Formats: sequence, structure tokens, C-alpha cells
Amino acid sequence: MNPGPASALAPAVDTRPPSAIWRALGWLLWLWIALAIVGAFLWAPLAQAFIGQSSRILFFHVPMAWASFVAFLAAGVWSVLYLVRRDADHDRAAAAAVELGLLFAILATVTGSMWAKVMWHAWWNGDPRQTSIVVALVFYAAYLVLRGAVEDPELRGRLCAAYAVLGLVVAPYLYFVAPRMASFTLHPQPVVNTAAKVDVEIRMLTVLLASSLGFTALFFWVHRLRLRLLRIDARKNTRT
Amino acid sequence: MPHDRGSNRLEFRGLVRSFGRVAVLDGVGGAVDGGSVLRVVGPNGSGKSTLLRCLAALVRPQAGIIRLVEDGREIDPAARRRRVGYVAPDLAFYEPLTAAENLDFFSRLRGVSPERSGVLLGTLGIPPQRAAGALSSGMRQRLRWAWALLDRPRLLLLDEPFQNLDAAGEAATRVLLLDHLASGGMAVVATPTPLELPHVAVSLDLSQPSAMAGAA
Amino acid sequence: MSVPARSAARRWLGEVVAVFVKDWRAELRTRHALHTLLLFSLTTLLTVSTALGPLGVSPSERVGVLPALLWIILLFAAAAGLPRSFVHEEETHTAIALRLAATPSAVFCGKTLFCASLLAGVELILVPLYVAMMQLSIASAGGLVVALAMGGLGLAIASTLLAAIAAQAQGRAALFPILAFPLLLPLLLLAIELTRGAVEGVMPDAVLVNLVLYDATMAVAGLMLFPLVWNP
Repeated sequence: MNPGPASALAPAVDTRPPSAIWRALGWLLWLWIALAIVGAFLWAPLAQAFIGQSSRILFFHVPMAWASFVAFLAAGVWSVLYLVRRDADHDRAAAAAVELGLLFAILATVTGSMWAKVMWHAWWNGDPRQTSIVVALVFYAAYLVLRGAVEDPELRGRLCAAYAVLGLVVAPYLYFVAPRMASFTLHPQPVVNTAAKVDVEIRMLTVLLASSLGFTALFFWVHRLRLRLLRIDARKNTRT
Repeated sequence: MPHDRGSNRLEFRGLVRSFGRVAVLDGVGGAVDGGSVLRVVGPNGSGKSTLLRCLAALVRPQAGIIRLVEDGREIDPAARRRRVGYVAPDLAFYEPLTAAENLDFFSRLRGVSPERSGVLLGTLGIPPQRAAGALSSGMRQRLRWAWALLDRPRLLLLDEPFQNLDAAGEAATRVLLLDHLASGGMAVVATPTPLELPHVAVSLDLSQPSAMAGAA
Repeated sequence: MSVPARSAARRWLGEVVAVFVKDWRAELRTRHALHTLLLFSLTTLLTVSTALGPLGVSPSERVGVLPALLWIILLFAAAAGLPRSFVHEEETHTAIALRLAATPSAVFCGKTLFCASLLAGVELILVPLYVAMMQLSIASAGGLVVALAMGGLGLAIASTLLAAIAAQAQGRAALFPILAFPLLLPLLLLAIELTRGAVEGVMPDAVLVNLVLYDATMAVAGLMLFPLVWNP
């Protein structure tokens, strides 16, 4: 029996091996991040206000938080695109972005807690930025739970995209407004992001920026791979 | 008021709707004009209900075109949703509210004058003051018909329309269907079993692959 | 406004009122949501008051702790009682008829007003009880009303939209708190802060402005997203 038009909806997957350019870019990314790691431990100086070597975690913690923020934005953009164009690939791209956003948010929270433990002898301070990264984490997880709770791809795409856009709309309140508003009468004084207040030397800034760039590129790199996997999955599920 | 028979038309082409790996609708097409019935047949699971849901804009097809023309004007999907008369087994009403209250609510939503629901309740013999939750299955089916005809739609989408109806109920609803067709309305009727219907211009059999009905 | 536009607006308002009235009519006959909301909030209140007692929180900490607890009670009550507005429609399949008959924005506004009025009713009963049982002295009653109104409104708007999303997924009402809590946190923080201001008698204007902005943002987002969530 001939497959009808339904199978024409299966997403196209490029089955050719990656071109030389992509392979080269992959190696470049590996090298970049390796250099950033080396630079973080060997080349950048220590920050003044920090205990021992602990400031080195900044070069990883900040980029991870930044990458999760990029993931959030990307998911929001793809979600809006999906709602407008209803192209299932945008929905897959948004989902992949949220998955990676969750990963980076977990990493950022864990590294942040480790740092907080060393600096202020407490894993958790109620510091507003600590709270906001955890809430972002919970939001990503909620998105993924929603994703798993809907079978029909069209409905799933719509609901998840709407939720992602809603998250994007609420995020400014979470990141910028609420921290300034909430008083912490029960908690120790909130610690402002010391990366801005620290006497930033050029070397530190260089490594920090390089690491941020590397992590952002890493996000897009892994996202590309993940999206490919999701397309293959969808293709498997579409074939009639 | 009779509609202009010639300027009502529904046509659809290449409709695709999959659920997972199952392509429930795989390139279905058909058409019906004012005054005629498009009969959709096929066994359980062949996609009849899904087709009607697509036509009612309750479900978005993954591919294909649906074009509805009423009184010479083309209707877009969002408007189509609010203009069709839809009868289906899963259609339900608010159980704590009476039949009359239910129809009044929907009359207010659609901007229909309040007398219309009373007329329909009377024609179909539905006890207006009985709670919708207390209606028998036959009465519920009559209420579905009353609801579908509330706004005098040009297009009726009927999924197993005579299900649960007794002889009197079926007679009453058939009269309403004939009136609807006589005034230039169209109907798409889905039925799993052979069913005698008036003015059937076209039959669409979903159990056949690549079901394409010739245009009326 | 031109005549056709005015009549279209009147039609739309008529739809909103119809949805609101229908929801209340059904609610007054079954009283499910009311029972859930009141029972939930009162038992939680009783737990808090028994566990802490009027003297359980030291005077210096009362301003910090008690407003937070109040809003937590309201949040949980809302999560227990509000999602039903959509979950019940989807489960009993009445949503089909509603989708075919009503304008989506009218459904959203009608349901939001319904949820807001439910919440207002709960606040009217819960808050005086809370203040009495926890012996919380409020310096600015007007400020408290504003906090409850603006916070409650935001809670209602967000809950309506999220209920519409959760109702169409598996797990429905159970999914609602998971989806809602990350998004409601900023609202809660702002509402708590505003309530603290009412208790102390010093209303933080910046917080009020932000809360109103949050409500407005939610309303706009709801109006834009709800039709996409509600209809395919």
C-alpha cells in the first residue's frame, strides 16, 4: 500500500556525515573551552575578596548561569515562532533549548552553592540571585513535565510554547524586580553579585568573557545535536 | 428565511491528521453544496469523527485545505468554528443547569434571541426545566440537536446524529434536517452503519485508501 | 466608537457576563469550588494557628513571618480550588460546546472574573480570621485591602491561564501547582512585601507599582496566549 500524504510530514533529517567545516568548528570549540579552563586555573589572577582559590569557580559558574539564560531566551523565541508559524521543528528546537537550559541551571546552582559554602559557610543563603536561578530551574522542569503530559504533538507544541512565552514574560520580575523588592529580615544581608564589584583585572575579564562565549557556543552546539535527535525521533513516530 | 442555495459550499482537500504513527486521515477530500448531504461512512476508527472535528475547526489538520463559503462569502477557520452546527456523541452540556438554562447560555454567547431556544425545546420535546444531568440519553441527543440548530447554521456537522433517539425523536430531528436542507443548508453526516438520508449527493467511504469524493 | 464597533463591544461584554453568570450559577448549585477553597484555607489556617499560636512568633519577627504565611495559605487554597474552572469543563466535555460557541477572549475574561470573585470571597472570610487568630495588628487596613486585591487579582489571572493549559494535559489538576509555582513566585514576593508594608503602616510604592505591572503583564499575556491555548 502506498504511503499517503501523512508520511510526507515526517521531518527531513540530513543523513550525510558532518562536513569538514563543522568538524573543524567542533575542534575549535573543544580547543577554546580547553584554553578557557587552563586560563581559569593558571593564567587568571585570584580575586581580592575571595577565600583562597575559590574565585576560580567564577569562570565556570557565571558562564553556566549565562548559558541557561541564553537557553531561556532561545526557547522563548522558538516558542513564539512556533505559535506564529506552527512549524513542528520550532517546537522541537524550543524543547531542546529548555532541556539544555535545565542542565546549565543545575550546574549553575550546584557551582553557586559550592561557592556559597566556601565563602559564607552556608550552602543556601536566600540570596535573591540564588533564588532566581533555582526558580528558573523549577520552571524548566515544569515545562518538561508539561511536555511529558501531552501526547498529541500539535496540542503539546501549543501548550508548551504558551508556557514558555509566559515564563519569558514573568522572567524580568524574577530576575530584576523581585530581588530588589523582597526584604530579607530573617536572612543574612544579601550579597550583591560580587563579580561586578570585584576589582576586575583584564586577565580575569578575558577569561570570564572567553568562558562565557565558549559555554554559549557549547549550548548551541549541543542544541544542534539534540534537535537532530528529536527530528529523528519524530521521523520514527511519523512513518505510516 | 431561505438561504441562497447556490452560494453555500463546503470543500476540503488533502486532509491529513495523524495521532502518533497512525494516520487517521490521510489525504481525505470531498465537497458538498447547499441543499445536499455529504455522507461519510466507514468502520469504527476510520476517521469519521476526526474528519468532522477538522471541519468544525476543533482539530487542526496537519495538511490540507478546508474551504467554507456561506452566502457567497468565504469563512475563515476561527469564524467557521462559531458558525457550524455540530452534533456528536461526546458533546455535553452543563449538568447542574436545566436544559433551558443551557440553551439560554449559548444563546447569549451567539447573540441568538431568547425565544429561539424555547421554540427548539418545544419542537424536540425536551423538558426545559429538567437539569441536563438528569436527562436520559435520548433526551441528551435531542438537546444536542437543539443546540446545533440554535444559531440557524448553514453547515451541519452530524456525527452519528440519530444515536439513542427513539422513533419520535428520530422523526422530529429528520424533519429539522429536511427543513435545514430545504432552506439551502449543507450537512455532513458521519455514520458507521447504513443509514437512510435525504438528498445525499455524495458518499465518502473512509475505509478505502486515498478516499476522494467527486465534487457534487 | 462607531456604531458597529460599539455593538461588537457590547456583544463581547455580554459574552463575558454570560460566562461569569453561568459559572456562578453552576457553582452555587454544586458548591464544589467554594467548599474546596474554604475548607482548604481554613484547615491550613487552623494548622498554622495551632502550631504557632498567637505568641509563637516573636514580636520582632511578626512583620516578616505572618504576611508570608498568609499568602502561602492563599496560594495553596487557590491551587486547590481554582483550576477546577477549566479542568471540570474538559473532563465533562462541556468545553467542546464552549469552544464552538464563545469568543476565546470572552471565555478568558469571564473565567478570570469568576476566579477573582471566588478568591475575593475566600479572602473576605480568611483574612479577618487570620488577623484575629494570629493577633496580627495592621497599621494600614486600606493598604491591606490593596495588597489583597492586587495580589488576588494577579493570582486569579495567572491561575485562569495556567488552569486552561493544565486542563488539557494528563494529570490536569495535579499538574497545575507544578506549572503555577515558578510563575507565581514573583507575584507572591511582591504581595507579601506589600502586606508587610500594610502591617507596618508604610506602603512601599515601588512594590505596588511592580505588582500592578505584574497584573497588567499577566492580563495582556493571558489575552494573547489564551486563544492559542484554547483553540487549535
